[in-house]
Amino acid sequence: MKTTIKEMIGPRCIIKEDGQKIYDAIHEVLQKGECVTLDFKDVSQFASPFFNFAIGQLLKDIKEADLRRLLHIENLNETGKMVVERVIENAAKYHGNKDYRKIVDDILAEQAKAAS
Amino acid sequence: MAPQIIYIPTLNDGEDDFRQLFEIWSQTNDYFEDVLFDLSRCKFLRPNAVAFLGGLARLIESRVGTVVFDWTTLRNDWVKNTLSQNGFAGSFGSFSSGWSGHSIPYREDRFRDANSIVDYLENYWLGRGWVHVSPRLRDAIIGHVWEIYNNAFEHSGSEIGVFSCGQHFYTQNELILSVVDFGQGIPAKVRTFLSSDPRADQLTAAGCLRWAFQRGSTTKADEPGGLGLDLLKEFVRINQGKLEVYSNEGYAMINKDGEQYENTDISFEGTVVHITLRCDEKLYRFRDET
Repeated sequence: MKTTIKEMIGPRCIIKEDGQKIYDAIHEVLQKGECVTLDFKDVSQFASPFFNFAIGQLLKDIKEADLRRLLHIENLNETGKMVVERVIENAAKYHGNKDYRKIVDDILAEQAKAAS
Repeated sequence: MAPQIIYIPTLNDGEDDFRQLFEIWSQTNDYFEDVLFDLSRCKFLRPNAVAFLGGLARLIESRVGTVVFDWTTLRNDWVKNTLSQNGFAGSFGSFSSGWSGHSIPYREDRFRDANSIVDYLENYWLGRGWVHVSPRLRDAIIGHVWEIYNNAFEHSGSEIGVFSCGQHFYTQNELILSVVDFGQGIPAKVRTFLSSDPRADQLTAAGCLRWAFQRGSTTKADEPGGLGLDLLKEFVRINQGKLEVYSNEGYAMINKDGEQYENTDISFEGTVVHITLRCDEKLYRFRDET
């Protein structure tokens, strides 16, 4: 399956709603183990909300290694690549359970360090 | 009842200037306030003050109050020209010249209209020819700056929207943009997010801001996120610019030398993001650009 992002979304991939459209279009295909190509030709502007929803969400039920094998990205510019990589790296952290207690511990520890 | 008269002082973008803005906010932070802004003491107004005062005026109106900018009190020509050129005066019942000079329009966004905001950044903020960058670098900058607006709409809960204004300062060779919301503020949002832990109340504003600026930190329980501020921070460092955030009683500053998080002794409900970029094309290069 190949999806031309410019046709489906336009030249700006910056909002989560557009990311969700891509997710909805490719999630099941990838879950079946089929390959998907996203072609970003003529898409010039990128921001993290788009990729969080288009790709970050996929890692909820697809392993990163499988995603990298099945999902092919073409014609993505340097900024887009940087954001995608950051989103994939971050997604593992997000999909783990949030440990609120540890977050508070960390903030308090930093506060103490800053005060000393 | 006669309106409360508030004198707008000369306002730059230093710590004391923000303090004065937050003091004005605290004087008007109630329902049924009728306010008259007197501009006779104002000899300079940076975009952060323009965006803040515009938002504050809408906040007062949303709380069933009235606001009048008394344009007859404005005597300073520089302020008059700037407020005319950037459309602020026109938004509040006065003159508007239509000539934009080095001003970047004041804008109010009640709702998140991504294309309209990005068009503004592209055509009025960066696209005026004062920053000489390749089209793809322009797009990269716009993508990062859009994250500021997106964060404001996604996280602040501001019912009156988001207010912004910019300016190009020719002599300093700086490009500035201020984005203001009157939502709950980042520290308050972080404390609420962590409220299942009783120690959340002990978290300082500086501590909350420091956490919010870390990669992957997000207050959304059911959505991925937490990259917008991190990406922006990285971009500002590379470009030797400056990113400042005032939110509740916290202050964050990021520049090429590092990060600084502080607690302040004055607070306001909301967030101001103030970004300063240097207009030096040598700083704005991709790896494969010559």
